[in-house]
Amino acid sequence: MPSKRDLASFIGVFRRAAAAVAVLTVAACAGGSAATEGTAGGGDGTPAVLRVPDEHTTVQAAVDAASPGDLVLVSPGTYAESVLVDTDDVTVRGTDRNAVVIDGEGVRSSGVVATADGVRIENLTVRRTMHYGVLVTGMHDDDGPSAHGTDGYERLDPSRFPPVERFAVRHVTAANNGLYGIYAFDARHGAITDSYASGSADSGIYVGQCRECDILVQGNVAERNAVGFENANASDSVVVSGNRFSANRVGMTFLSNYQEAFTPQRAGTVVGNVVTTNTSADSPAHAEGAFGIGIGISGGRHNVLRDNLVAGNPRAGVLLANTEDLAAVGNRVDGSWAGDGVSRNGVDIANVSADRAPARGTCPGAAASTLPENLRAACGTPGPLDGVAPGELPRVQAPPGMSFLEVPAPPPQPGMTDVENVPAPLPSTVTAGIRLPEGVPDADLLAERSGVA
Amino acid sequence: MDRVSRREVLFGTGGVIAGVVAAAGGTAAGTALEQGRDDGTPAAAADLPADAPSTGAVRPDGTTQAGIDRPATPQRFGLLTVLDLPDAGSPATLLSRLATLGTAVLDLTGAASAVPPGGAGDLTVTVGLGPRPVAAIDPGLPGATALPRFAGDESIAPERVGGDLLLALHGSDPMALPAALRELRAALGDATPRWSESCFRGPGDGMVARNPLGFHDGITVPHGVRELSREVWLPPEGDGGDPRVTGGTLCVLRRLVLDTARFAELGTGSQEAVIGRRLSDGAPLSGGTMSDDVDLRAKTPTGQYLVPARAHTRAAHPSFTGSGLMLRRGYGFAAPAVGDDPGETGLFFISFQRELDTFVRTQHRLDEIDALMEFATPTASASFLVLPGFDAGRPLGSTLTA
Ligand code: HEM
Repeated sequence: MPSKRDLASFIGVFRRAAAAVAVLTVAACAGGSAATEGTAGGGDGTPAVLRVPDEHTTVQAAVDAASPGDLVLVSPGTYAESVLVDTDDVTVRGTDRNAVVIDGEGVRSSGVVATADGVRIENLTVRRTMHYGVLVTGMHDDDGPSAHGTDGYERLDPSRFPPVERFAVRHVTAANNGLYGIYAFDARHGAITDSYASGSADSGIYVGQCRECDILVQGNVAERNAVGFENANASDSVVVSGNRFSANRVGMTFLSNYQEAFTPQRAGTVVGNVVTTNTSADSPAHAEGAFGIGIGISGGRHNVLRDNLVAGNPRAGVLLANTEDLAAVGNRVDGSWAGDGVSRNGVDIANVSADRAPARGTCPGAAASTLPENLRAACGTPGPLDGVAPGELPRVQAPPGMSFLEVPAPPPQPGMTDVENVPAPLPSTVTAGIRLPEGVPDADLLAERSGVA
Repeated sequence: MDRVSRREVLFGTGGVIAGVVAAAGGTAAGTALEQGRDDGTPAAAADLPADAPSTGAVRPDGTTQAGIDRPATPQRFGLLTVLDLPDAGSPATLLSRLATLGTAVLDLTGAASAVPPGGAGDLTVTVGLGPRPVAAIDPGLPGATALPRFAGDESIAPERVGGDLLLALHGSDPMALPAALRELRAALGDATPRWSESCFRGPGDGMVARNPLGFHDGITVPHGVRELSREVWLPPEGDGGDPRVTGGTLCVLRRLVLDTARFAELGTGSQEAVIGRRLSDGAPLSGGTMSDDVDLRAKTPTGQYLVPARAHTRAAHPSFTGSGLMLRRGYGFAAPAVGDDPGETGLFFISFQRELDTFVRTQHRLDEIDALMEFATPTASASFLVLPGFDAGRPLGSTLTA
C-alpha cells in the first residue's frame, strides 16, 4: 500500500507533472516506510538525539520516532528517500554537509518536506529530486503536501491552510532538483541561510505566498538555475541580504502571481546582494526564454532594493514589468551597476510594462542607464513611467537548456561545526531588528562557494 | 482525489449552491436546481447533466434561457443577429417590446409551434441586451459597460461593434432558422439590423466539437449545475448578486477570421504547439487524455514547458488572470470565395460568464502572448446581458425593473 510519502500520492500538479516528464516516470519505492527499531524520542521532555543509520536505518524512521525538540542526526551516506517531517520542533541535521546526501535519484518528487512548525533542516545535501529539494509548506492535506494550492480553476482560500510557523534551512546544499532547490511556501517566521542551490529549472531558492512573512534569506549562493531566487506573493517582511545570485539565467525575481493567494507581492527588503553575469549556459532553460537578466520585478510593489551590485547582465540589470493588470509600483531601486572584473549591464534599468498596467514610482539614481532613456521623466510624480516593448531590450541569444540532472555538481560547501548540540526551539520572530549589511558588496562576495566564479 | 472532490475539499464550493437554494423561494429560480435533482439526488451531491440531448425539444422557459447550457450538446447550426433598438434609451417601451418578443420566443419554440413548418425541433432562441439599453435601465447593472477595444479591433467595421440586441438562434435544422428569425423580427417591431450571419458546428458530444482549425474545442469549460452556478449564471442576491438579473449571464461575441491556410502550413507539430493540445485526440501536450487539464508546470528536464510558453491553452488559462472559467460555445462561419477573393473562414467565439472581466482580462493576455492570435483577425465584437429565463408568468425582461 502506498504510504502518504510516496511520490504517487502527491496531489494535483505533482502527479501530473510526474507523468509528463518522461525521463522521470520510473517510480521508485521511497525508503521511508520501513521503520526500524531504535531509540524512541525524548517523549519524557528531555530532547533526544536519534542517530541515522546507527539507531534508525532511514532518516524517515528516525523522524517518525522523534518527539518535539529532538535532533535527528544523520551520518555520512547516500539516502534514497523522500523525508516528511510532520512533528513540530524537530531538527534534521547531517554530520557532514557534503557527505550526507538525500538522493531523489531523478525519480522521487522531493527530498525533505516539512509541514510542521519549528522544523530545522541543516547541514546536508539534497539532490536529484524531480520537483523540490527542500520544501516547507502549510499547504497539505491527507493526500500529502503541495506547494501550489489550485489547479487554476478554483480560487484558493488560503485561510483553510494556515502557514507553517518558524522554520530554518541552514547550510543545505540543494543540487540538480527539477523545479526548485529550497522552497518555502505558505510558511512564516523562517530563515534560509548559508545554503547553496544549483541546477533547478524554476528557481534555486523560492519564497512564496505569505503575508507578514518575516523570512530571512541570507548568505546563500544560487547559481546555474533558471532563476536564482524567486519571490512570488511573499510580502511585508522578506529580507534578502548578502546573497550571491550570479550565473543563473535570471538572478532574482519579485512576482505577483494570480496562481497563488495574496497578490500583489510587496514590501520586500533586498540589500547587499551580488547579482552578476546571469548568463549561465550550464543550467536548465527558463521556460519563457528569459536570459541575461539581473532582477525582474513583475507586478511587485514597494520593494526596496539598495546597495546591491547588479552588473554584467546583458539584457537588463533590473526589469520592471506588469503581471496582467497588476503594475509594478513604488519599487525603490538603487545600488551599484559596476563591479570589479564584471562588465556593464546591457541596460541597468528597463521598463517593459504593458500600457494597461504601467509601472509607477521608480526613480533610479543618475548612475543607472535606463530604457527608455527618459525613464526618469516621471520622477517625483505619481504618473506612469514611459516604457519600451520587450523587443527593444538589448538582444541576447539564450543558449539551449541543460538537463537539470546534468548541471555540474557544486563544489564542497562549508558546513556546521558543532553538530552534536541539540538546539533550543526556533524563535517566533526572525527579521525584526535585524542588522543589514552596509554598503555595496564586492563582486567576489561568497565567490569561494561558487562553482562558476 | 478526483477533480470535483478535490475542488470541494480545497475550496468549499458548496456555498454557491447554498446561495442559490436560499434565494429560490418558490419563484422560477428553483427550476435549475429541480432539473439538477430529477434523479432524486440532491443537487449538491453530484455534477448532473444540465438538460436533454440535442434531439427533441429544448425547454424555452425556466430560470435561465435556452441555448447556453441546454441542449447539452449544442445544435449544429446557428443564425446570429444583432440589431439596434429605437427605444434603447427609454426603458418603459423597451420592456414591453421585450415582453412581446419573449412571447414570440415561447410560441416559436414551444411544443405547439407552427413555425417552422416541420415544428420547432430543438430550436432555441437566446436573447441578449447590449450595453446601451442596459445602462439606460441602470448603469450599475451587469452588462452595462461595453467591451474595451482589443488588439486589431480598430479595423472592425463600426456596424459590427456592439449593438442593442442579440438574437441567437440555434437548431439542428438550418432551414428552420431564417423562418424563425422572420417571426421574431415581426414581433420585435421596428429595429435596425446591424448584421446577421449563419454559423455551424462540427459533430460533437457535449460542448466538445472540432473547430475550424481542426482542433477539439470546448473541452475546458464549466460543467454541471455547481460549476455553471459559480462561473456562468449571474448569482442570486444571497450570493452577492443583483436579483434583477439572477439567472442571466454575460455573453461575449467575437467574430474571428482565421488564417487557416497559413495555419495549415505549420504542420501538425507546430499547430499543436500553438494550441497546447494534440490534434488527433485533444489530449494536453503535458500528457493524459482529452478530459485532463493542461499541466502548466510540467517541464522537460532541460527546462522547457511541455505546454509551450505561448500556447493558446496556457495563454487563456484562467489561473494567470485570476479570473473565472468561461463557458465557450463557439461556432464556425464561412463566407464565399469569389474570383481572387479567398472568402473568409473563422470562428464565432461565443462565451458566457458571470463577469465580463473574465473575458476582458483573458483577451488582454492573449493579445500580449498568445501565438494563436497571430492567426486571428477580429471582425465583430460585442457583449450582451443575456436576460434571465422567462415564461408566461414572468415575461422576458420583466425582472429588470423589479
Ligand atoms: C482564435 C480563435 C480561437 C480558437 C481557434 C480557439 C481554440 C481553442 C482550443 C482548440 C482550445 C483547447 C480545447 C479546450 O479546452 O476547449 C481552447 C481553449 C481555450 N480557449 Fe480558445 N480559441 C480561440 C479564441 C479564444 C478566445 C478569444 C478566448 C478568450 C479570450 C479563448 C479562451 C479559451 C480558454 C479559456 C480555453 C481553455 C484554456 C484552459 O484552461 O485549458 N479562446 N481554445
